[in-house]
Amino acid sequence: MSLATYIIKRTIQIAITLFVVITILFFLFRVMPGDPTAFLLDPKMSPEAKEIIRKQFGLDKPLYVQYVLYVRNVLKGDFGTSFYYGVPVFERIKELLPNTLLLWVPAILLSYFIGINVGRRIAWKRGSKEEYIMIVLGLFFLGMPIFWFGMIMIWLFYHELGIFPAGGMMTPELWLDPSTPLWKKAADIVYHLLLPIITLSIGGFAGSMLLMRNSMLDTLREDYITTARAKGLKESVIRDKHAARNAMLPIVTAMSISLAFSAGGGVLTETIFSWPGLGREIVQAVLNYDYPLAQAAFFYISVIVLFANLVADVLYAYLDPRIKY
Amino acid sequence: MRFRDSWETFRRSRVGPIGLMILLVFVLMAVSGPIYVYIRGEEIYHPLKGVDPVIKGVSPPSIRHPLGTDHLGRDLLAQLMYGAQTSFLIGITAAAMAVFIGTSVGLTAGYFGGAIDNLLMRIVDIMMVLPGLPLIIITAAAIGKQSIWIIVFLIAILGWAGTARVIRSQTLSLRERPFVEAARVAGASDTRIIFKHIAPNVLPLTTLYLTLGIPGVIITEAAISFLGLGDPSKVSWGMMLQWAFTTGNTYNPYWLFPPGLCITLMALAFYLIGRGMEEIINPRLREI
Amino acid sequence: MNMLLDVRNLKMYYRTRRGHVKAVDGVNFSLNRGKALGLVGESGCGKTSIGITLLRILPTNAEVIEGSALFDGTDILKIGEEEMRKYRWKRISMIFQGAMNALNPVHKVGDQIIEAIITHEGISKEEARERVARLFELVGLNPDRMDNYPHEYSGGMRQRAIIAMALACNPDLIIADEPTTALDVIVQDKILREMRRIQRETETAMIYISHDISVIAETCDEIAVMYAGKIVERGPIERVFENPLHPYTKALMSAFPSVKGEKRRLETIPGEPPNLLHPPEGCRFHPRCPYAKPLCSEVEPLEEEFGNGRFASCHFAGEW
Repeated sequence: MSLATYIIKRTIQIAITLFVVITILFFLFRVMPGDPTAFLLDPKMSPEAKEIIRKQFGLDKPLYVQYVLYVRNVLKGDFGTSFYYGVPVFERIKELLPNTLLLWVPAILLSYFIGINVGRRIAWKRGSKEEYIMIVLGLFFLGMPIFWFGMIMIWLFYHELGIFPAGGMMTPELWLDPSTPLWKKAADIVYHLLLPIITLSIGGFAGSMLLMRNSMLDTLREDYITTARAKGLKESVIRDKHAARNAMLPIVTAMSISLAFSAGGGVLTETIFSWPGLGREIVQAVLNYDYPLAQAAFFYISVIVLFANLVADVLYAYLDPRIKY
Repeated sequence: MRFRDSWETFRRSRVGPIGLMILLVFVLMAVSGPIYVYIRGEEIYHPLKGVDPVIKGVSPPSIRHPLGTDHLGRDLLAQLMYGAQTSFLIGITAAAMAVFIGTSVGLTAGYFGGAIDNLLMRIVDIMMVLPGLPLIIITAAAIGKQSIWIIVFLIAILGWAGTARVIRSQTLSLRERPFVEAARVAGASDTRIIFKHIAPNVLPLTTLYLTLGIPGVIITEAAISFLGLGDPSKVSWGMMLQWAFTTGNTYNPYWLFPPGLCITLMALAFYLIGRGMEEIINPRLREI
Repeated sequence: MNMLLDVRNLKMYYRTRRGHVKAVDGVNFSLNRGKALGLVGESGCGKTSIGITLLRILPTNAEVIEGSALFDGTDILKIGEEEMRKYRWKRISMIFQGAMNALNPVHKVGDQIIEAIITHEGISKEEARERVARLFELVGLNPDRMDNYPHEYSGGMRQRAIIAMALACNPDLIIADEPTTALDVIVQDKILREMRRIQRETETAMIYISHDISVIAETCDEIAVMYAGKIVERGPIERVFENPLHPYTKALMSAFPSVKGEKRRLETIPGEPPNLLHPPEGCRFHPRCPYAKPLCSEVEPLEEEFGNGRFASCHFAGEW
């Protein structure tokens, strides 16, 4: 199969999944007991505003018409009006989405970077004390709720040591002062970003570390590793170019699952650090009964996860010249 | 004899027995919770309704309250012990349900193959990439009311895909084994072959996935409770952390550390046991 | 002195939970420059273990217990790891069993050979590429296929590429471990003939490891017959075939199609090869030997010289 067909096939599969997400959202709120329009119509809305939404989502029409309208609206990014903020949901999402990416992307990359490197190292030192300690530590981190880890980080670095802020995204005084240069604002965001990124990546590295170790041990049993050793290559070349390079493949395959998992970690980390992103918003929206916003936040979180999946697929195709699927 | 061998392998895994020991501590903790509350008096020590009239608020550890009290003057140790019950209850039931669904789907897909297999595995593919926690959050919102059984159900319904995939591939290879062939030639029905010949052989793997599934459930439940979507009638460790967080008591180490450490250690215990079991089930890991 | 390799009393054991597996248990043999030695025996007798011991690419649970291997005057079992790395591939290379997996699937075939050359010789990548192109021609591969990945090659092509790789640094010795077993008979034959030709042209010494005595017959000058971790008979190949001194040699010869192509009934050797955790007392072959006498189960026969470079370990060598 050529690279192009592979990518197209994967894209179609991801598009189908996205469609499933929309369908789940549609039915989730309609099969529940109670007024089926309550999730789109806020009692506080004016009758005119209600009428607009009713029309837009076809709430007086049969279910299948509603479904078609819903899909069309969602694909246009239109989830109606936020109950809580009283503005179109998309306005809100537009602000939050970049913040979420700013936190999640570096954190996930960092967590894979740490996981893959440590996993590679302990597999190479199989049977050592270091390996044993890292496995137990890895399982400990795997079992640790990330929100608790985040709370400890805040307790330690904010309350006890006072090096990092407790949360938020920026220092208000700095941003309200018009004379603040741009680089200082950027630095301020980075300063607020560091602790959440550390939390999210340390909290999530264990899975990829353990997986990398197992995959690496499998790879080290392969004949081509014996060939590499017989060729008199340096240990580091055998480990990195021959073993780790191949051991990466199952990691990339498993990314789809771990990305879905990371999204959960992202939601919790944002909540703990009051990071104004989609993750915190979905929780807030649910607690505020702001259904349109909650749906939209979920939809866009899914989009991020699915897009990341597509990236992982392309990466896989790049790493494995065989791409047979 | 086979049990002896398995136990020996489990023991030699080093981590397995450690996990079992940690778990035993938690069992003792869960059992002694009600005893502790009974002995010291319901009206003060009940984890949810008990209030210490002398303290009425947050207090650090003391002889009266070994772990201190929360913002309402409730005993944190009692909450911690009852939390162990909740974790066991939700962890085991949800994981069992998920593994049951997963095993059934995996057996069906693997045994019948063809279009059924294809369809089920596409569903599995989709289930695997859905962001689980956000989906639970939004579903909880749609359902509106909160009870532990809804949480158990949601976790199970979203958590079976991994098991299904593994059981399917196991079933695929079992299906080709001579004893299944023999049963088929002898005229056994599909259901009989599945339940009598294949299911017993996937049972070890199912047990392993059950063990490894429990910690995931425990952490997810903790997260849901922490976000304020838990069952308010049952204390859980996640809820204790939520109370600390929302009442601004995150910086009280005696409140912050015990619940989180309990979640982590209980999850760790199951992972360690799972690792020990893996060495029995998958001899390749044992090496020579 | 023409001797390239001299192995004395080599013992290599695998540690397992149930005890030591004595895969190589007191083995002697030597090999002159430019000559080919065939190491033959049933699978699991320790032939491959000898190969990987000489290159010192043993798994972690394997251990050289005693013995020496003088390669060009240096005991390669005693030198340091970094020193050994210079011997690997530059002086001793190996053609691995099962060509399917000996090449790394994610790297281009040409690059995997270039890598070996550059590691050992201070030449540029372009020069190495040119050499690989010549090697490809030598083994009958189109040099244009250098930039393909292993999965784009057929089994025969892969085996040729592996042979090219083994020749890449002009080694003094190539260890070929079942070089053609994975291939179909016609390709097998062709490749064997070419290997023999290349070996003679380049004057490289070779150790052929095979369970198939007819492969050895086609390609080698000397033969060493291995049974249960020991070499039971060795010597110049025509003499051994003419008049085997060990019953196991004879049994192996009748288990494979005759060298000269005459139709003969194949006899399988009755019984199972012994468990190397607990090898039999006395002569290890005695439980399967049709000529075994009481002495054979009690006293282990020592290796004796029989003139003309022939050695055998049998109490009744040639007299059964």
